[in-house]
Amino acid sequence: MLILRLWNYLRGYVIIRVEGLYLEKFINHCIEKGIYLWDIKRVNYTTLEACIGIKGFKDLRRISRKAGCRVYLSKKNGYPFWAHKIKKRKMLLIGAFFSILLLIIASSFIYDVEVIGNQQLAEEPVINYLREIGLKPGANRYRIDLRQLENELMIEFNELAWVGIEIKGIYAKVEVVEKVAPPTKIDKNTPADVVASKQGVIEQVIAKNGDAVVQKGDIVSEGDLLITGIVSREQMKNPLYVHAYGEVFAKTYYESNKSISLVEIKKQRTGEVYNRRRIKLGKLELAIGGNEIPYSDYEVEKSNKTITLWRNIKLPVEIILDTYYEAVEIEEKIELQQAKEIIHQEAIGELMEEIPLEGEIVDTKITFIEEGSTLKGTFIIEVIEDIAKQKQIITGED
Amino acid sequence: MKKSEEIKKSIADILELPQDIILDLPKITMVGNLQIYVENHKGILEYSTTRVRIYTKNGVLRIIGKNLILKNIVVEEIVIVGEITHIEFMD
Repeated sequence: MLILRLWNYLRGYVIIRVEGLYLEKFINHCIEKGIYLWDIKRVNYTTLEACIGIKGFKDLRRISRKAGCRVYLSKKNGYPFWAHKIKKRKMLLIGAFFSILLLIIASSFIYDVEVIGNQQLAEEPVINYLREIGLKPGANRYRIDLRQLENELMIEFNELAWVGIEIKGIYAKVEVVEKVAPPTKIDKNTPADVVASKQGVIEQVIAKNGDAVVQKGDIVSEGDLLITGIVSREQMKNPLYVHAYGEVFAKTYYESNKSISLVEIKKQRTGEVYNRRRIKLGKLELAIGGNEIPYSDYEVEKSNKTITLWRNIKLPVEIILDTYYEAVEIEEKIELQQAKEIIHQEAIGELMEEIPLEGEIVDTKITFIEEGSTLKGTFIIEVIEDIAKQKQIITGED
Repeated sequence: MKKSEEIKKSIADILELPQDIILDLPKITMVGNLQIYVENHKGILEYSTTRVRIYTKNGVLRIIGKNLILKNIVVEEIVIVGEITHIEFMD
């Protein structure tokens, strides 16, 4: 029984060797006196080994004389002896205490602040602002009110739709989601131009208001004027400023270059296995037996064991078992057709994300070049889409 | 059996009292052939790794086996662990 053993350990016990001819008599005397003996083992005809509590051991002298036996102390066991030993080595205890203290103190500070999820917003102002309001390397993680910081950050930066701050060990992870700003709307009465939002070859211009300045076949680049809002006729002295709008369809090109190695390196397991255990206490990970991995090439498999107390209540102690499989690299040739398909799919998938939904795909051009053991592919997709974008005319009058 | 013993036994029978208490007899419990608990013993007579003899009210209980260890021994109870092969009462 574990509890009994633990109790005995805490109380302290000794293993004794009893030598004599009437060992049974010795045992009976012990029982009579109420001395608790356990794990009694006969070593040979005249010798016996048994465990006995510290208190019992002191009373043993009289009994051994009565029973005509000799009692030898063979081993001291348990917490009292250990405590006694440690008392002589106070510095060891102090050192252990301080190292644990140091570990706890050191892990209560934040070492790094990381911002993720920002696209338009630069990381620097966020980090600088966080530093101002308290979240910075060196801050105590228990003193920081994360919800408060999140709110302050939201107030400071209008561009943010959501902020989540999470402290993972010694890292503070600030996750932000930016607002998607609606396109700026230009009032119908303010004069405006229509400019190109991207590069392309003009296919069709439908100017609903204003004068078209490009025609079919023109090559325009981003920002070029397409429909002007400054209308001037021969009869008029001053040009008329109008709110130009319309649709400009242009051929745009989406290009992607991909390459793939025709020789694939695959890992094959040799059957050699090496295990390594790690213990995870809350957020702290400790390696048990930190030997070097004996293989140069290997694959790792992870499995963890948690101790479940009751239903879903788990102890924050986890044992992670890393299994390293020794592996040998094997070169494998990929069929040309298969390689083409792989990069084709990759490129198309990538390009499809770029192409707006309204765009109409007109043509796809694919070229493959084989260079040594690599296959290079160029994928061009031709799309007809509306590239019109309104831009306010800044007139000197207003 | 003495007269008083007989009376005690009949009382125990009538009142359905546990006989080991009334008659002061040993209560022996075994777990397979691995463990044997002897409650209400009167002391140990012999102990070696192959043979244990225990005094009880109705004679000597002899336990024969291999690698016998006295796991626990107090006034009321003896626990013997090992590979038990024989148990018998002798006079």
